[in-house]
Amino acid sequence: MTTFKSWILTLVKLFHSVKDENLQWKKANQDQQVKLKHARVLAAKTLEAELKKRSVQLEHELTLLRTKNNTELSMFKTKCKQDIKDYKQYLASLDQLKRSIQASYKHLPEAVAFTIHHHAKHLLNQMWEAKDFEQKMQHEIQLIKFMTTVHEDARLHLEGATTEKLPERTLSLIQQK
Amino acid sequence: MFAAFAVFMSADMLLWLAVPGLPGLMTQFGLATLLTAFALLLITGLFIVIKLIIAACFDYFSARQRLKRRLWFNQSQQDRLKQLFYFRTLQINYFNELKRKRLLSANNRQHIKSLSKAIDKDLHSIKQQLSKKTYLQLRRENIQYRDKQDADALLKLQQKIATIV
Repeated sequence: MTTFKSWILTLVKLFHSVKDENLQWKKANQDQQVKLKHARVLAAKTLEAELKKRSVQLEHELTLLRTKNNTELSMFKTKCKQDIKDYKQYLASLDQLKRSIQASYKHLPEAVAFTIHHHAKHLLNQMWEAKDFEQKMQHEIQLIKFMTTVHEDARLHLEGATTEKLPERTLSLIQQK
Repeated sequence: MFAAFAVFMSADMLLWLAVPGLPGLMTQFGLATLLTAFALLLITGLFIVIKLIIAACFDYFSARQRLKRRLWFNQSQQDRLKQLFYFRTLQINYFNELKRKRLLSANNRQHIKSLSKAIDKDLHSIKQQLSKKTYLQLRRENIQYRDKQDADALLKLQQKIATIV
């Protein structure tokens, strides 16, 4: 019984010594613990401030992006509308080209006039569908050259400078293709 | 739990020593201890789970997490706007191209119609030189190619008529 009592007392003493040591450690490291707590709170506050700042910045960027996108889209729409208008005008001028060659060469077969017009349209489409700016320019030059040749043939024939029954220079340009 | 096992062991020993009455009592005591241990374990577990849930809730609604979520939302909005811009551009391009193609096909139709008319006129002028069957066949071909919008076939037909003349 005495052994059991002493054993219990040892256990209680051990428990108290552990508690004492714990308290001593807490006392010794109190400053550091307070500092750590402060540092933690400070870090959290800094992070919050940083996040808030970034969020506000991002919101501002969003507004800017929205405005920029809207402006660019409306500009792009206007450009597309203008493109369609230009294409329409090109088609009208090619129709005019066909009428002028038919007016100059009274007996020009419809098939020849159609071929000339068709070729001009082909050049126009090549120019329109070219992705590269240089290629686009090349096709535009080809189209302008072709239209000039047709007008030149029509003018010469109308003025009586040639006796050819067909616009030979235009047809040779088509055959070159 | 260990105490319950110790009680069970002592009950076993008492049974082995053939002490009357006491093993039953010890077994009852052991069972009660075991059940109490289990209940304590369960309550501690529940307490820990509830504590974790409350901590998670507090963390979820904390200012830092709210700001983080707001930031992510803004970032996703930015990405969405960029994507939207790209697809809107594609859409405008597509409709623009469609409009241009429509203009082109309308123009093609108009000129093919006039070519077909000219072929019809040529055909009519040589009607006397052709058999009725050939005339009708050529006329049918003309209408067929015009409806198909086949310019090459119409030009070939025109050449064919020119060679007949």
